[in-house]
Amino acid sequence: MSVVEVDGVWKIFGDKSAEAIAAVRGEGLGKAEVLDRFGAIIGVKDASFTVEEGEIFCLMGLSGSGKSTLVRHINRLIEPTTGTIRILGEDIGAMSSEALRALRAEKIGMVFQNMALLPHRSVRDNIGFALELRGKDAYHRAQLADHALETVSLHGYGDRLPSELSGGMQQRVGLARALAADPEILLMDEPFSALDPLIRRNLQNEFLGLSQNLRKTTVFITHDLDEAIRMGDRIGIMNDGEIVQIGTAEDIVTAPADDYVADFVAGISRLKLVSASKIMVAVESHVARHGPIDDAHDYPTARPEDDLDTLVELSTGTELPVLIRHDGGTVGIVTKDTLLHGLQGTEAT
Amino acid sequence: MSTTAALIGAEPREVESRDVSVPVFADRNAAYYGSVFERLQKGELPFWHMNLAGLLIPWVWSAWRGVWLMFWVSLALDMIGLVCLMQNFKYGPLLADAHLDPSANAILIERYTRWLSVYNNVGIATLILGRLLIGLQANRWYFRQYSKWRIDGHTAHGVVARRVLIAALILVLVAPITLYRATQQRIDERACFNQVRAIDGTQRLLSRYGVTEVSDLTSALADRRDRLVTERATLEASASLTDDQKGRLAEIRREERQLRRENDAVEDFKAVSAKDRFDCLFIDDFPTLARIDPPEDVTYRRVPDEDAIAQGRSGATKVITQVKDPVEGRTVNIFTYTAESIDIGINFLRAQYAGIFDALTNVLRQSLIRVEVAFMLTPWPVLVGLAMILAWAYCGTGTVVFVGASLTFLAVFELWQIAMQTMALVVVATAICIFVGLPVGIWMAKNRIANWITEPILDVMQTIPSLSYLVPAVAFFGISQPPAVLATVVFAIPPMVKLTALGIRQVPQSTKEAALAFGASERQLLTKVELPMAVPSIMAGLNQTIMLALSMATISAFIGAEGLGAIVTAALGDAQAGKGLLAGIAIALVAMVIDRILKGIRSSLSRI
Ligand SMILES: Nc1ncnc2c1ncn2[C@@H]1O[C@H](COP(=O)(O)OP(=O)(O)O)[C@@H](O)[C@H]1O
Ligand SMILES: [Mg+2]
Repeated sequence: MSVVEVDGVWKIFGDKSAEAIAAVRGEGLGKAEVLDRFGAIIGVKDASFTVEEGEIFCLMGLSGSGKSTLVRHINRLIEPTTGTIRILGEDIGAMSSEALRALRAEKIGMVFQNMALLPHRSVRDNIGFALELRGKDAYHRAQLADHALETVSLHGYGDRLPSELSGGMQQRVGLARALAADPEILLMDEPFSALDPLIRRNLQNEFLGLSQNLRKTTVFITHDLDEAIRMGDRIGIMNDGEIVQIGTAEDIVTAPADDYVADFVAGISRLKLVSASKIMVAVESHVARHGPIDDAHDYPTARPEDDLDTLVELSTGTELPVLIRHDGGTVGIVTKDTLLHGLQGTEAT
Repeated sequence: MSTTAALIGAEPREVESRDVSVPVFADRNAAYYGSVFERLQKGELPFWHMNLAGLLIPWVWSAWRGVWLMFWVSLALDMIGLVCLMQNFKYGPLLADAHLDPSANAILIERYTRWLSVYNNVGIATLILGRLLIGLQANRWYFRQYSKWRIDGHTAHGVVARRVLIAALILVLVAPITLYRATQQRIDERACFNQVRAIDGTQRLLSRYGVTEVSDLTSALADRRDRLVTERATLEASASLTDDQKGRLAEIRREERQLRRENDAVEDFKAVSAKDRFDCLFIDDFPTLARIDPPEDVTYRRVPDEDAIAQGRSGATKVITQVKDPVEGRTVNIFTYTAESIDIGINFLRAQYAGIFDALTNVLRQSLIRVEVAFMLTPWPVLVGLAMILAWAYCGTGTVVFVGASLTFLAVFELWQIAMQTMALVVVATAICIFVGLPVGIWMAKNRIANWITEPILDVMQTIPSLSYLVPAVAFFGISQPPAVLATVVFAIPPMVKLTALGIRQVPQSTKEAALAFGASERQLLTKVELPMAVPSIMAGLNQTIMLALSMATISAFIGAEGLGAIVTAALGDAQAGKGLLAGIAIALVAMVIDRILKGIRSSLSRI
């Protein structure tokens, strides 16, 4: 059972949403035409995906592509126009408002791009907010909050006001607030986008470390493909409300589903993403072209799952191609030409 | 990310390609405007460069090209000049009259001559300088319009004959009547009133005599007079008269008198010339549009209910209605009609719901007394100490000194107790403002319809002069302290409501969303997020409310509020400037003390 299941979700802002959906389905209208004809805005268009336990699922897309709208469906801050969302197997569209509040407070933590901390409360009271809403007593609240503060390495800042903290520290507080109630699911809406590159890098790394320990099921939103690749086990790419491709970073970089995705990945360094198995040439075709492999030479060898970075490392200082070996046999060959084309993302001729 | 990706991702927006060159904009005479605009942009256009059309036919030119600002300015300048020149028609005849007897009218002649020369000089100067100004500015205004048009294609451009037509209509509407007005003396105040009366009276006579034409009416009146005269003659001719006949004679004389009045009215009506009617309708005061019958003159009174008392319900009362006969022929305008209807309505409510009003008065009086007692019985050192400690805790040393000095002022001038009375009134009024204003403010922030209803009411409450509140307060509650409190509440509550609503609305959407995302209910959202975050705004509202309450507490001394205000109003009545001034200073000091301390508390809150 997946932790989060989003199934056929549409969100159309505007009064004539039902007609608009019918028109988009039937006639394949675009965003601008729908706005023209129905005065409605397509927020999310037929989105379906699942997130497994402990997985980090990244939603990536340009701003305005509907990422925030889609992620707010997961805790039903936004009602879908049609479609269902199941959390831990339960359809949240059918939940009572009390059950929904309990779900939000106990099962789902959320982190926002602009932190959205309560300025009149201390850091500790901010972190304990969800617990307070569920009626937890002050003592336990403080304990859990301090524990969460420690998790995000802000020990001792509990009595400060948010305004006394830097942006990066505020976002740590935001993260601590999401973690305090120990929820199963984390929703992170561009949590690091507003931060300086260096601080962002730090927080990314810290969050990765954290999530290796905590193994929270995470939906992570970003408009930055580099970030998506760093953070995401899988990535969903959104364009104009539609999820155009879902896959691992390597899938997306090596086989972009359309021009939009291709343009996105064009500038991405493939060194660490693409594995040898994606670019290697079969032994027979290599032999056909360059002659047999001379066993007298000491060929460098690699495994199919090694990335291009490793292959570059092996190829430097020798004229010989790299043999890709698996289970004791050679399954493919990477020459310098193949490697260079692989780095560029073009087909070898 | 490549630029193409950005282009694919962004909402595709067609940039409308539009020819924004001068020829498209100017249409006619494009070569001239092309070169003028170019030189303007380069700063090479000499300042004396004239647009001839702007100089000679500014109205036509500006309307034709849609430079409406210039149309109005040139129209205004020309009208001012012409109105000045028109004074010749007004004072010319008077001057001529005066010249008939120069020695007796020397002063008048001197005065009129001086006025006329001033008017003529100003008029001619305005016309000439105005036209020069327009001629010089025309191209610059036109260029500004061109710049605007390049950004916004809907800006007027090209040459359009229809615009000239509109301009002509405006001219026809504005110019003749304005110029005509300039030639006329001020109309006698009674003239138009008498005119309305003559027209009214004649109208009534027409219906009474069952005729439609005024000429018929004249002959009908004449017939009647003839008949009466003949009858009187016969009666007077007979030597002795019975009592009946004597009575009839007296009646005939009375009828004749009335007939004369009617005749006068008709003569007046006939004397109303078309010019007079025109003057009264269009160039005097806005004419009274409708004269209607006044509302029925009803009085409601609550009296002991004898029947019910007889049945054993002692103290029972009921409302009785008395209707007065209408005054014959009295018609009123809409203002009077509405005002009288409101009076009757208040009277009705007052009689019908006497119990409620009395109960409310009672509650207010009791709470006032309690608070007053609390203030007056607390020894002054305690209150002074409290104020100074507050000032010390929340404000600087300067404020402590100021508070001390102000309170000393009250003590030295023996105004302490009286100031405490004012304070009691302010405290009660402010408490009511908070209890009513806070919920209403919240409601207003949360509910669009509530906002839609409340906002204009609050605006009206704030703009009505404070004295106007006293009248209905007295009408409902009589003269005493409770209505003074109510008037104060009505006057002081708007900032409380508005700033509460504002504070709640100012809470960022994202913060509220975060609270909801962590499972807050609507009520928790309000109490844990919105209200705390609105506190600075609410405190600002409270501060304003207290200041307004203090100023209104003074004014409501007119209807029986005790305290410093009463001294001021008494001093006003007796023209004792010194007394009034001292009490006024005391009020200002109290206000400033409260204001400073509250400001200190507020800023210490917002530091959180
Ligand atoms: N409440 C709303 N009403 C109308 N349109 C909305 C609303 N919220 C979002 N949208 C529209 O939905 C689209 C997606 O917005 P959003 O989800 O915020 O994009 P992203 O988070 O990817 O930048 C945008 O075109 C936005 O204008
Ligand atoms: Mg967003």
